[in-house]
Amino acid sequence: MNTVFILGWGVLIAASIAWYAFLVFYVGIKAGREIREMTDRLARKE
Amino acid sequence: MKLALIDWLIILVYLIGCLGAGLWMRKFVRGVEDFAVAGREMDVNLGIASLAATELGLVTIMYTAQLGYEKGFAGATIGVLAAGAIWLVGRTGFVIGPLRAAGVMTIPELFQKRFGSRVRWLAGVFVAAGGLLNMGIFLRLGGEFLVYATGLPPQWLEWVMTALLGLVLLYTALGGMLSVLITDFLQFLVMGVGIVATSLLVLWTIGWSNLVAGLTAAWDGTGPGKMAAHPFNPFHGSSFGWTYLLWMFVFQIAAATTWQTQISRVLASKDVTTARRMYQRTSFYFVGRFLLPGLWGAAAFVWYAQHGGLPAELNSLTAMPHFLSTLLPVGIIGLVVAAMLAAEMSTDSGYMLTWATVIYNDIITPCLKRPLAPKHQLLLTRGLVLAIAVFLLFYGLWYELPGNAWDYLAVTGNIYLASVFTLLVAGLYWPRANTMGAAAALILGALGPIAFLILGKKYAIAPEIAGASSFALAAIGMIAGSLLGSPPARTIDAAPSASTS
Repeated sequence: MNTVFILGWGVLIAASIAWYAFLVFYVGIKAGREIREMTDRLARKE
Repeated sequence: MKLALIDWLIILVYLIGCLGAGLWMRKFVRGVEDFAVAGREMDVNLGIASLAATELGLVTIMYTAQLGYEKGFAGATIGVLAAGAIWLVGRTGFVIGPLRAAGVMTIPELFQKRFGSRVRWLAGVFVAAGGLLNMGIFLRLGGEFLVYATGLPPQWLEWVMTALLGLVLLYTALGGMLSVLITDFLQFLVMGVGIVATSLLVLWTIGWSNLVAGLTAAWDGTGPGKMAAHPFNPFHGSSFGWTYLLWMFVFQIAAATTWQTQISRVLASKDVTTARRMYQRTSFYFVGRFLLPGLWGAAAFVWYAQHGGLPAELNSLTAMPHFLSTLLPVGIIGLVVAAMLAAEMSTDSGYMLTWATVIYNDIITPCLKRPLAPKHQLLLTRGLVLAIAVFLLFYGLWYELPGNAWDYLAVTGNIYLASVFTLLVAGLYWPRANTMGAAAALILGALGPIAFLILGKKYAIAPEIAGASSFALAAIGMIAGSLLGSPPARTIDAAPSASTS
C-alpha cells in the first residue's frame, strides 16, 4: 500500500514541476499578448 | 548564507521592474470600475496568472512547507482537494457562473439584489472582517522567511517588510486592479521560475530514494528523526483521516465559490466562459501550491534528521527557509528570494485591493444618502487601501500576537465562509430564500463556531466537527428563516446589465 502512495506522490511532484514550467512559458507568452490588447482597448476608451 | 552582489542585483532589478509596470498602469484608471475590476477587460491567461500569483503567497509557502515537515507528502492532500474543488466549480459554473452574469463588483452587492441592503451591509462587515483578520499575519510569516533564508538580522524584519508593503501600496493605491494584474503577471513568471528551480535543486541535492527512505525510517522508528504522522497515507489515523479530508473538500468548494480574492478575478473576467476556463486551467496549479513547498519541508525534515537534528533556534515553520539558505548557491538564492518577494507582493496587493473594494462598495456606499462623484469614489477607495496597509503594519508586524493565532483565525475565516457560502447558494438556487433566512444564516453561521471555540477548549472538539457545524447551522438558519418568513419579492436578474458588464 505504501508503494502505491509513494508512486502517486512521485508522479504528482513530477507533474507539478512540469506544469509550473509549462505555465510560465505558455501563460507567460499568452498573458503578455492579452495585456497589450487590454491596454490598447483601455487607451481607446479614453 | 549571506546574499552576494549578484543576488542583490537580481532582487533590485525585479523590484524596479514591478514598480515601473505597476505605476505605468495608473494612467488607464478612469473610475472605480477600472480601479476595482479592471474595467472587466481581463482575458483567460492573464486571469490564470493573476489568480495563481494572488493565491500563492509567501505565507502559503511557509505553512505548506510546515505541513510537509510535520506530515510528509500526505500534508499536500489538501492541495489535491483544493484542485479538485476548483476544477469542479469551473467545469459546472456552480455559483461563479450566475455571480459573474449578475454584473456585480463584490459578493455582498449580489445580496442587495436578492435580500436587500441590510443583508448586503451585514455580509460586507463579515467579509471584510474575516478577510482582514486572515491577512493580518501575512507580513510576519513572510518576514520570517526572509530572515531565515537570507541571514538578515532579525531586528531588520519590521523595517524590510514595512518598505516592501510601502512599495506594494504605491502601485496598488494608484493603479488598482489594473496595476495588480500587470504586477501579478510579472510576479507569476518570477515565482514560477523560482519554485521550479528550488524544487529541482532540492530533489537533486537530497535524492528521491534518500528522501523516501528517510521519511519511511522516521515514521517506523528505524532511522534518525521521528515523524508522528504517516508521511504518505493521508487516510491513516495518525495523519488527516477520512472525516477531516471529507470536511476539507466541502471547505474547499466553499472557498472556491466564496473567497472574495478569488472571486474578484471571476468578476474582472470578460464573461462567464472566461471565468470558468480560468478556474479549470488554474486548478492543477493548486496541487503544486501545496506539494512543492511541502516537498521542501519534507526534505528539510530528512536533511536535519540526517545531520544531527534540528538546531534549537529553529522549529517546523522556520526549518524550511533555513534549509534552503544552506542548500541554494549564489545567484539562485537571489532568484528564490525575488520569487518569494513576488509571492508576498502579489498576495498583499490583491488582498488589500479586494478588502478595500468590499469596504467601499458594501459597507460605506449603502450608508450614503447620495452617491459620491466618481473622483471622490476613487479617492475614497485609494484611502481605504492606505488604511488597510496601516492596519496590516500594526496588527501583523509591530504588534506581537498573543499565543497561537491560527486557531482563532481559522474560526473567524470559517464564520465568513460558512455564512456567505450559504447565502450565495440559497440566493442563487433556491427561489424561496428570503431576507429573514439570510439574516438567520449570517448570525447562526457566526455564533456556531464562536461557541465551539469556547467549548472546544474544554471538550477537545475536532476541527472538522467545529467547521462542519458552522455550515450546518448557517443552512438551518437559512431554511428555517425563509420558511417562517414571507416569500421573497426579489429575484436575481442573471442577465448582464449594460452598465456593469
